[in-house]
Amino acid sequence: MSGKNMEEKVEQATNSKNISLPVSRVRLIMKSSPDVSCINQDALFLTTKATELFVQHLALSSYKNGSGKETNTLSYSDLANVAEETETFQFLTDILPKKILARDYLKSLEEMEKDDENL
Amino acid sequence: MDGDSSTTDTTQLGITGEYMTGGTYVLQTQDDDGDESFNDHEDGNGSKDYFREQDIYLPIANVARIMKNAIPQTGKIAKDAKECVQECVSEFISFMTSEASERCHQEKRKTINGEDILFAMSTLGFDMYVEPLKLYLQKFREAMKGEKGITPVTVSEGLGEELTDESFTGQLPAGLITADGQQQNVMVYTTSYQQIPGVQQIQFS
Repeated sequence: MSGKNMEEKVEQATNSKNISLPVSRVRLIMKSSPDVSCINQDALFLTTKATELFVQHLALSSYKNGSGKETNTLSYSDLANVAEETETFQFLTDILPKKILARDYLKSLEEMEKDDENL
Repeated sequence: MDGDSSTTDTTQLGITGEYMTGGTYVLQTQDDDGDESFNDHEDGNGSKDYFREQDIYLPIANVARIMKNAIPQTGKIAKDAKECVQECVSEFISFMTSEASERCHQEKRKTINGEDILFAMSTLGFDMYVEPLKLYLQKFREAMKGEKGITPVTVSEGLGEELTDESFTGQLPAGLITADGQQQNVMVYTTSYQQIPGVQQIQFS
């Protein structure tokens, strides 16, 4: 059985078993890790499924933890906060820095410059 | 200053990070012009032109759908939150894969198998996923057997979408009461990797 044929069967099976992420894309991401040669079928399936669980987990934790109670909206800062506060999600802190608006930043920059001038 | 791209690297803006207290910050424009294309994040670290492993993402529509189904129905999701989770997902996959790969190398094996992935999950703080994943794997294997023309086993969809918050804090029992009240006998998948007779181990190269 050719590899390509098998991949189609995997896609069919995963479609009927409630996977909502593209397995081939997951494989691409896995393969881009250094020193990865072969990934077997089970590993690919488990990673795809685990990714679904992860998205649900992250979304729900952030929503519950966040300011969404007033606005009902899951925002970027909810995600950044949960990454900082939850040990499981701490590997995300590098890609989830907290944001400030450019104008606020520039304002604080101006104020610092003024302080320097006054010295 | 490049005003309409967000960057984590303050030195690119010609300013040192010392002005900011309490960690790194990203400048955010008033209107996020989030482009939803496949690899749209090269302006994250603008000086790099080559294609980085972190730049491969899962489709945002799929990610957004899963998020939406996870939160209460009345909840909404900001656009930049969806994009952000998209990036987190790639990070998660890479994180798991490199841990699993390392174990593989240590044991002088070339192929990452299911057990390596489960082990990586457990090591990296996601052991709450392990039990549900084993059950899903069982169902998946049954489905694959069915595709080959062997008599399919009827499997209930009860486990499908019902991951509640509790399931992330505790372990699921091995015997399931499915949605229609039937007790489902679940074969416990042991951690030692078994060759299933008749099923070819497919290598994805």
